Amino acid sequence: KMVENSPAPLPERAIYGFALFLGSWFGFILYLIWAYIPETWLFSLGLTYWPQKYWAVALPVYLLVAVGMGYILLFGINMMSTAPLNSTDTITDNYAKKQQQKKFQEEAIPALRDIPISEVNRMFFLPEK
Amino acid sequence: MAEERRFSSASGAPIALRRRQHSASCRELSVRAPRLQLRSLSAATSAVWLAAYGLFALSENSMVLSAAIFITLIGLIIYLHFVKIDQESLLVIGSLGIQVTSSYASGKESTTFIEMGQVKDVVINEAIHMQKVIYYLCILLQDPEDPQGVSEVVPLFQSSKPRLDCLIEVYKSCQEILEQRKTAPQSS
Repeated sequence: KMVENSPAPLPERAIYGFALFLGSWFGFILYLIWAYIPETWLFSLGLTYWPQKYWAVALPVYLLVAVGMGYILLFGINMMSTAPLNSTDTITDNYAKKQQQKKFQEEAIPALRDIPISEVNRMFFLPEK
Repeated sequence: MAEERRFSSASGAPIALRRRQHSASCRELSVRAPRLQLRSLSAATSAVWLAAYGLFALSENSMVLSAAIFITLIGLIIYLHFVKIDQESLLVIGSLGIQVTSSYASGKESTTFIEMGQVKDVVINEAIHMQKVIYYLCILLQDPEDPQGVSEVVPLFQSSKPRLDCLIEVYKSCQEILEQRKTAPQSS
């Protein structure tokens, strides 16, 4: 079971990789043929129902503009999802509110818990008495 | 008894913190930002007027120049009255409440009062704000149903944004007064 999840090279993976390699070369050559060979030559071969050559330029342009807009969108979505300074999400959340207090045992490592912000502030900023 | 110390804000501008103790349970802390500089005012005005003159040279329409003068005047008035905050102060009265005042450059003052029963604590919180992580002081308001819960967070000193050293001074002063709440017996 462990062997199937490892990233090591396997014979099946080599075959998939080679098939993808051949497939992507074939797709690229097909795209070049569609974009460059004049329509009349394609018609004379019998290929009359291929999409307009306009799309051979339009689709890459659409893709690149989408990538550029994606950068801006991601930036904007991140800024919108950040909690504003006056929201309680900066202090606590549902998991912290519902956490249970475990009993304190001597000589044991204390259990992990979310410490309230007032306590943290006192520890950091008020001098130790 | 008043003392004033210089600090710097989160963006690097110099600010001044003034602490006044009116009585054993009443303290006032004011943060003063630098006033509107003549050089930034002249720079903004010159930029707007040069742009308007450029438009006038292109379009030969003299309304552009009058519009630019109008925009500069109205913009300056709006900025001084609604945007430029000169001083933010915090008045903590032990048994009564906390008052937050913002004074604008035009003289306008905006005040908020929070009574002591609603105040859970005054803490320094850190949060993400516009691609930076900043420390800011805030008042935590008590949730009426849940004694451990926080119903609302009121951020303070939003426009002057002092740095951590200034915030620690303000925090210590506030905590000295808030601690008296626990030791003093509840009379109301």
